[in-house]
Amino acid sequence: VSHYDAAHTCSDSHDDACAHAGSDAKHGLSRRDVLRCGAVVGLGLGSGVASLVPAFAQARAPDGTRSPVLVVVELAGGNDGLNTVVPHRHDVYRKLRPTLRLGRDVLRPLDDARGLHPALAGLHARFERGELAIVEGCGYPDPVRSHFSAQEFWHTARPHIAEPYGWLGRVADTWTDPDPLSVIAIGAAPPRAVAAASHAAVCFGAPDQLERRGARDTRDVYGRLIEDDAPAAAAPSDDASTPRDIASFVRETAQVASAASVRIRAAVEHYETAVSYGIETEAASLGRDLRGIAALLAADLPLRVAHVSMGGFDSHARQLQSHQLQLGYVDDALFGFARDLARLGRDQDVVVLVFTEFGRRVAENGSGGTDHGTATPVFVLGAPVRGGLYGAAPSLDALDAAGDPAPTTDFRRVYATLLDGWLDTDSVAVLGADHAPLPLLRRA
Amino acid sequence: LGRPSGSTSGGRLRLAAAGIAAAAIATLLGAPPAHAQRDAPRDGRDDPTPLAAADWTRAHAAHLLERAGFGGTPAEIDALAALGPVAAVRTLVRYPAQPAPNLPIFDASGVFPSDDFVPPPPGAARPHFVRAFFRGEALGASVERRTGPGWAQPIADQLLFFVVADAIESARAAAWQGERMLLTTRPLEEKLALFWHGHFATSNQKVRDHRKMLAQWDLFRARGNARLRDLVLGVARDPAMLLYLDGVENVRGAPNENFARELLELFTLGVGQYTQDDVSEAARAFTGWGLDGNAFHRAWWRHDKGRKTFLGRTARLDGTDVIDRILEEPACARFIAAKLYTFFVRPDPSPALIESHARTFRESGHDIAVLLEAMLLSRDFYSDATRGAHVKGPVELVVSTYRKMGLETMPGIPGFTPTTQSLGQRLYAPPNVAGWPGDRVWITPATLVLRQNFARYVLFPQERPLPRRRPIELVADIVGRDAFEQMEAMARRGDFSGAPTMPERASGLARVGAVGEGGAVDLARALYNGARKALRETRLDVPLPAELSVSAWVRSAGAHDAETAVDALASRFLSVPMRTSDRAALIAQLERSLAGRALFSDDADEADDAEERDGVKKGVDVADEDGMERMLREVLHLVLSLPEYQLS
Repeated sequence: VSHYDAAHTCSDSHDDACAHAGSDAKHGLSRRDVLRCGAVVGLGLGSGVASLVPAFAQARAPDGTRSPVLVVVELAGGNDGLNTVVPHRHDVYRKLRPTLRLGRDVLRPLDDARGLHPALAGLHARFERGELAIVEGCGYPDPVRSHFSAQEFWHTARPHIAEPYGWLGRVADTWTDPDPLSVIAIGAAPPRAVAAASHAAVCFGAPDQLERRGARDTRDVYGRLIEDDAPAAAAPSDDASTPRDIASFVRETAQVASAASVRIRAAVEHYETAVSYGIETEAASLGRDLRGIAALLAADLPLRVAHVSMGGFDSHARQLQSHQLQLGYVDDALFGFARDLARLGRDQDVVVLVFTEFGRRVAENGSGGTDHGTATPVFVLGAPVRGGLYGAAPSLDALDAAGDPAPTTDFRRVYATLLDGWLDTDSVAVLGADHAPLPLLRRA
Repeated sequence: LGRPSGSTSGGRLRLAAAGIAAAAIATLLGAPPAHAQRDAPRDGRDDPTPLAAADWTRAHAAHLLERAGFGGTPAEIDALAALGPVAAVRTLVRYPAQPAPNLPIFDASGVFPSDDFVPPPPGAARPHFVRAFFRGEALGASVERRTGPGWAQPIADQLLFFVVADAIESARAAAWQGERMLLTTRPLEEKLALFWHGHFATSNQKVRDHRKMLAQWDLFRARGNARLRDLVLGVARDPAMLLYLDGVENVRGAPNENFARELLELFTLGVGQYTQDDVSEAARAFTGWGLDGNAFHRAWWRHDKGRKTFLGRTARLDGTDVIDRILEEPACARFIAAKLYTFFVRPDPSPALIESHARTFRESGHDIAVLLEAMLLSRDFYSDATRGAHVKGPVELVVSTYRKMGLETMPGIPGFTPTTQSLGQRLYAPPNVAGWPGDRVWITPATLVLRQNFARYVLFPQERPLPRRRPIELVADIVGRDAFEQMEAMARRGDFSGAPTMPERASGLARVGAVGEGGAVDLARALYNGARKALRETRLDVPLPAELSVSAWVRSAGAHDAETAVDALASRFLSVPMRTSDRAALIAQLERSLAGRALFSDDADEADDAEERDGVKKGVDVADEDGMERMLREVLHLVLSLPEYQLS
């Protein structure tokens, strides 16, 4: 069981719960309902804010081509890679997983020795079409088994180093004058991956969280308070960090928030698609979030990098059922996203990266679950992807003292591939080292 | 905020060079360093010399209180202004000479049985099960040994109980820490603790014992203003730090370099001032520095007594010798001075300015109080380059908002810990050992809106969104909805005997080794039971909204119409003046709300006078018959939504 997740979240809502003890039941009104009402009311925006929406650059270049988009999907908690890409013939796998092992009869075949988890029907279809690259055995030297540290390492791409910025944030920092909506993260708090020195990602759990709360009749006034300085009033500046510049920076951020709030809510709340993303609940949030990304793309927002995350993979107990459900959610969401992109004619513009912070121990534990491990497969998928198996399966014949296989492929090679080959960004500059790319992309 | 036009960067460089040359000469002559720069810009930018008493104003006092503390009420600023610069700075910096503040102690829930009780760090549960196997009890729970599958379940339940209870207690302790910042009469003591918490960053996400975090902050308060050596030595022996950077694992023959590396890179010298060999040798010197229970303990048999070469010195070095050697490096004083300057003054000091303060620091024997006094008295600190150049961190924002309001208790709505966490700063949980990057990184579109909404919920607590669900339901996210509901049903029956999963083979001594990692127990059940018990046995702090009366502040400031009311609120809350156009817009907004009525009728004036005399303050639910309080709160929310409010 994830100590980190459990303890963290329980305490977070502790005082919330006390604050409104009983009020939930009394009103029979969920927070979602309350927020939804607020959002509907909030759509009646004053002209003051609406007029602030800058004419952002569209995602389309003058010649009609579009920027490549990278969508990063995090499976938080440590997805069990061995029961995702399954070496069903391996003796060690069969021996150490007496109740959890999956046999060839139920798996979806990748090659003679490996198969995908039965819940991954959509991913398997894409593998057969050559649109899913599976990079096996990903990790980094001296792997850690703490969620906290391992997630940090994957997000910053600098294992064992205290690095404040994320790898996607550092990409945004290389862009000249990026549109404010270039990097979007869906989640309660911005993931470390998008933390940047100069380009703030737009992050939200639900689009209405970007909305400043206030009385309706003060909205026009607020719109004026965050307008730019009149050119005459702007102080001359010979320094990057004068106080005036910082106030302008905060003011610009407020404008971005207002504009983003209007544009993102307009895009997401009115998005209609016939494509199913599977079950969408609090626990199965990936479908909802990927549909949100599709909505932003459909509205032609100038998105270049998106980050979404779904938890529930920390399967220390009774994994057989929970993993089946979780992977089913993921498969439905990813398959729906792909179909929706094709429907929108955007499937050639988008590559999806699916990662998790570590794999799980080869040997199952006594609770029908698995504990924190090391190497894990990474998925890269999309129409621009050259499908197949890459990297190398971790060797189950040489486990370390804890019972984990050594990673075979540094995960930063996957990042380098996407940086150089898809985002047209110098991977050495972003990663601080030269990591050999893998031939995962058709255009590379 | 205009600056003299002659202040170009070229000019600053020349001044800096002149400053270094003058200092070098002064050092050569053995004379006290003369920092005076006759041709320094008039507003004092880059000038480390003290502000003249004649230049001291109330605005300077407000700036000092904001940066060296968490701001204050108009009366507190008046009191500080009356002292003059030297005494004002001394009062703040030399706080040990001030009477100890009378602050509430942390109202611990008492879930940990005693002070020397050691809660389980994650991943190290096995000894508890081994102990339970042989002794029939562990972690305060007793078990029937080897009576069949699941015999160790009570131990696992207790383990998860402590983990969840500790998370709840650490959130409560963080709120209590915020309350200290709000109520203390020694604001710099708490501000320095916050600074050192970000510098010697330690996260309870790994330590898993909020009492160790509380003890670490006691260290920051006791030594945060003392000699750097005492502070660094204290941190090297601090139980939370020993766990966080794996000092407890650092033993002879198998050194763990985690602490040694960060000591050099992040705590004292900075990258480029040492080699990997220095890290390895320093790690050897710290071997054996570990814990006995909850206390520091040096185990001589784990200490590597061999010779080590660290930063060019070869001897049988111990950890203390390593720290002493580090302090001899001039880079150390520079590193600490720059870090303090960035936090307390401004993010972009020139190397010459830092060098000047580093020299003061070194010459004082690394006395932090001497360094702070020099920084907080300097003309640069009061210059236009500094005032308004600081982005308030989340904790600063929340606490200073409350202090400016003059609150006498920490409001529970919105909750302190969830609020600062949503803004990017949860106390006891920095993102990593480098602490919070700070400055512009605090401000993103989402956090800016959340900052504005924080102000909204302080002023309009009834608008706060309702929670989605009961806290216990968070367990469902981890164990799955079906397992959770099964356990809910068992809880309703009061019967947990029918375990969801309990493999028979996972019992007996042969399996004890696996127990700690989930062997003979059902961890899903343990989490449910543990969380349930933790939620039951930790104290519930009944959350109350802030008690405040915006009308009373506006009236006591002598405001009589929309214009003077807006000015009163801006003066009370803003460190950076608002733009003329914004002031006009706010005045117009209040005039529209007033719709021709007077700000205060005579009757209301008398009522407010009476209120003020009796010290009674209006809560938001108190009748606001003429709607005046609501109107003023709307205007204040706009003031607190200004981009300028994020700066100090």
